[in-house]
Amino acid sequence: MRPMLVSILLLGSLLTGCKREQRVFDPGAAGSQPANGTVLSEVAAGQQPPKGNQPNPIAESAYAVAEGKRFYQAYNCVGCHANGGGAIGPALMDSEWIYGSSLEQIHSTIVQGRPNGMPSYAGKIPDYQVWEIAAYVRSMSGQLPSDVAPSRSDHMPMVVPEQSRPQEHPGAEHPQPVVSEPSR
Amino acid sequence: MKSTGSRTLWLVLFGILGFWFMLGCHKQSSSTSASTGGSIHPYTAEMEKDDGQWVRATKDFANTRYSSLSQITAQNVAQLRVSWTFATTVPHGQEAAPIVANNTMYLATPWPNVLYALDLTKPGAPLKWKYEPHPSPAAKGEACCDWVTRGAVFDNGKLFFNTLDGYTIALNADTGEQLWRTHLADLNNGETITMAPMVVRNHVFVGNSGGEFGVRGWLAALDTSSGKLAWKAYSTGPDNEVLIGSRFHPYYATDKGSDLGVKTWPPDAWRIGGGTVWGFLSYDPQLNLIYYGTANPGPWNPEVRPGDNKWTAGMFARDPDTGEAVWFYQMSPHDLFDWDGINEDVLVDLPWQGQLRKVLLRPDRNGHVYVIDRATGQVLSANPFAYTNTTTGVDLRTGALQRIPDKAPRTGQVVRNICPDAPGAKDWQPSSFSPQTGLLYIPHQNMCMDEEGTEVSYIAGTPYVGSSVQYYAGPGGHMGELTAWDPIAGKAVWTIKDKYPIWSGTVTTAGGLVFFGTMDGWFKAADAKTGNILWQFKTDSGIIGQPVSYRGPDGKQYIAILSGIGGWPGSIVAGQLDTRDGTAANGWGKALPNIRNEVTAGGTLYVFSLP
Amino acid sequence: MIFSFISPMFPGHQTPLSPVGPQARHIEHNLLLIFSITSIVYVIVIAVLAYGVVRNHAREGFVPHTLVEDPEIERKATWIVGAALGLTIILLLVMMVSSFYTSHSTAVLAQAQAIKIDVYGHQWWWEVEYPINEQPYRMVRTANEIHVPVGAVVTIHATSRDVIHSFWAPNIHGKKDLLPGYENDLTIQVDQPGTWRGQCAEFCGLQHAHMAFDIVAQSREDFDRWYEQQLSPAPEPASSQAIHGREVFLTHACVMCHTIRGTTAGATVGPDLTHLASRSMIAAGTLKNTRGNLAGWISNAQSIKPGVRMPPNPMPSSDLNDLLAYLETLR
Repeated sequence: MRPMLVSILLLGSLLTGCKREQRVFDPGAAGSQPANGTVLSEVAAGQQPPKGNQPNPIAESAYAVAEGKRFYQAYNCVGCHANGGGAIGPALMDSEWIYGSSLEQIHSTIVQGRPNGMPSYAGKIPDYQVWEIAAYVRSMSGQLPSDVAPSRSDHMPMVVPEQSRPQEHPGAEHPQPVVSEPSR
Repeated sequence: MKSTGSRTLWLVLFGILGFWFMLGCHKQSSSTSASTGGSIHPYTAEMEKDDGQWVRATKDFANTRYSSLSQITAQNVAQLRVSWTFATTVPHGQEAAPIVANNTMYLATPWPNVLYALDLTKPGAPLKWKYEPHPSPAAKGEACCDWVTRGAVFDNGKLFFNTLDGYTIALNADTGEQLWRTHLADLNNGETITMAPMVVRNHVFVGNSGGEFGVRGWLAALDTSSGKLAWKAYSTGPDNEVLIGSRFHPYYATDKGSDLGVKTWPPDAWRIGGGTVWGFLSYDPQLNLIYYGTANPGPWNPEVRPGDNKWTAGMFARDPDTGEAVWFYQMSPHDLFDWDGINEDVLVDLPWQGQLRKVLLRPDRNGHVYVIDRATGQVLSANPFAYTNTTTGVDLRTGALQRIPDKAPRTGQVVRNICPDAPGAKDWQPSSFSPQTGLLYIPHQNMCMDEEGTEVSYIAGTPYVGSSVQYYAGPGGHMGELTAWDPIAGKAVWTIKDKYPIWSGTVTTAGGLVFFGTMDGWFKAADAKTGNILWQFKTDSGIIGQPVSYRGPDGKQYIAILSGIGGWPGSIVAGQLDTRDGTAANGWGKALPNIRNEVTAGGTLYVFSLP
Repeated sequence: MIFSFISPMFPGHQTPLSPVGPQARHIEHNLLLIFSITSIVYVIVIAVLAYGVVRNHAREGFVPHTLVEDPEIERKATWIVGAALGLTIILLLVMMVSSFYTSHSTAVLAQAQAIKIDVYGHQWWWEVEYPINEQPYRMVRTANEIHVPVGAVVTIHATSRDVIHSFWAPNIHGKKDLLPGYENDLTIQVDQPGTWRGQCAEFCGLQHAHMAFDIVAQSREDFDRWYEQQLSPAPEPASSQAIHGREVFLTHACVMCHTIRGTTAGATVGPDLTHLASRSMIAAGTLKNTRGNLAGWISNAQSIKPGVRMPPNPMPSSDLNDLLAYLETLR
């Protein structure tokens, strides 16, 4: 009886992996629009709005992130940012973010473009693909779990796979609480 | 006793075996290195008169970068010290040559392309005026290799320079007042301008950059007084747009035929085929010809563009007044490795097999110093000045570069140990020629690479490269070399090695010295005859600029250099790139993993003199 | 098997049993020979077996023989088994020789004058290039449709840009794998004008089944006319509708993946559309190239070919109409 139960449980545990490869065939994409709500500054006048902490399904799907990696190549992102180390554009695998490191901020950077050289991709990339690229960009600095981030690619090894990169700590994303009283 | 004997026997056997293996290795890798054993031949032909100024980046029309000033000599150079400095406040690649004319020094900075005029008549050379063109910040995202400019040019009371976002600007050199401003390059198609313009009579010559963005290369001539376009010669496309007409007589058969700028490309690929013009121009007043090179064809991945890809990776001789092409020679037909043909042409008259011939010396990116008859375009000799395993020389009968097919990049496959790498044996950094020694002083690289071709899309305004590359040091483990080259024998006389690529230009002086800078910030003076380092000074950042030598209003000889790391390799520092990715800065990440820990960004002018 | 035998009844359909080229003919002969031999052997074996089963089974009160050593039966059995074995070896040898002969004869087409075609497999479509030696400006690029002159020897130089695919036009030749990073050659000849379907024969992902192509064999003149047509860049649109349609193309996601020569669109992720309207099928042989199908494909390709790389492109119907009007000018 017991071995049966154990094997059922073991087989059942495999089911948890199913979601990882889940994909949406009809993403109902509209042309991407600038995500107007995205805030770039860490400091807000008046008061800091509460952080919207909604998990984004795209950043949890290995398939979506792998697609993001494909688009990163296909849409010439690689030409300016190399494989994360940067070239004409800044590095994406480090902890420095000029225009914000959150998924929403990266999305709006891609769609809006940025004045110091980042071209705008508004209307040129379907919205769901922009999210996938943004999720992939986050994987470059180790911000995604290792079961979601891409593993070793089939090409010339130029950089440690996204999956195995140490997590960088962008300042705005991991603020330390302000020390208000001397600790005892 | 017996065991020792057998051990010796084994050692001998192993030795023979090892030697045999080495022989085999040598046989397989048909590589060539620079041969040494050149000698010094003082130059006898006449050179342009030196007025002690430095009005254009190349010093003279012949592009020699030779200063006849001789106060600073091999004997007293050890006492050389900083006379004054100036902060450009732009911490990016300082590739410009300081321009000296009418007791004023003109400095062009990288984007935002500020032009400073410094008054040399006053102590410390205070700022006389500055001109800010306010170029578009978007240009920074369309320039392949940092936001550089290679300087301005002074002519007849006017100063001409280019902005990164594609304007050519003429200023009144005394007041800094803008005379005209002409828009030449379209940023949205990836075009920028980084080159130093040159003036011949009433034309200022400007070419575009953007070979990594699928632009179509051109050289334009603007009227110096109005800024109006006089002519524009494209580097690809139909003959009438390349300005090929009845006067065009190339030396080699492969360059003869109609509309080769279309026929040597897949349909319409020439429209996005590169061949930009961002190097230095030379001018021969007697033949009335200008000489310049055309850059790499785009994209890098050669499988996308079968054919010779005319007129890229080659060089033109043109009439400066009409723009008509007179001859063309292609150093790297169907370029495989981003070997731009933009390197400088140094015009000299050399004794060649018993007669004095008008030639040009061209240390090319493909690793050969070409000696070319500058009236006809005939290649007289082409010898390797750096280690190469991708070619076996140049066939002087057909002019063709002999390639080793194994090293050609292929889509989806990694080809390893390609020497030289994509920046070539020598990139833009200009060499200099000293009549005292008859030697050409070539700053260059000693590097190899791994390359994988990738599929690539042309999307206007984004890079069009199609290649994954990473570079590393060539044989010997050093990446930089300064070679003194005997152009007659086609051999090196001496070579200075440096850890990093020597990405700065050189200047030679009548004092028997060669000045150059290193990427880790040392400005050095070497003995032009022996290559011994006689003096060196550590500047605040890395040096990738063009040193100049001039006579100040006080009659003293000054040496000036801009320090400020950047450019293609130095963009790792200037752009704060992450070298954990070997392809950072288009392949330099692997070669320069620690440079950010050794050098910091800067942008300071240093002027040296004797006490 | 049954399908293979029925399909010749539908002309133009892919089957190795109506060959239109010398190699497919050799393959067909070999197939028929092996099929006949194995069929006859199969029928005989089954018949003998059936006889053995049926012979004594029906008889009432039948008791099977006990296994006793009888030299007479032993000798007889040895003789029968030996003869059967000998016959099997002879038949296998016949089939082996025939297979060798087929392999040999499919590989001996004279290649000196061959037309060279590069085929690249993509998920899930075929990129086709005609590199004309020494004349790069005469290079033609198309997708999912390979035109060849009737009777001409054509060398297909095949590789893959992603996963392993296999090129198979059964009326013309056998299969040839397309391997990433490795190039395979396949030489073909089509002797009969017509359109011959082929498809991917190596499972390559979700839409493997919708990765087909057509080989169009036509007379030399028709082929040359087609070739010249393919060489030209896209014509300038004439109608205001088509002009706006081009603008729609150039300002939407289309330019990120497709090329139309003569415009600034130069991406290579998807098929080259410079002469889209000249092709008979779209979506790698999935749909006929009609205005309605194209509209559906552009609007939501995912509903037609789930998982395909083409994203949905919702747009106002007037834009879509103009875009279709423009695409129809790309002959």
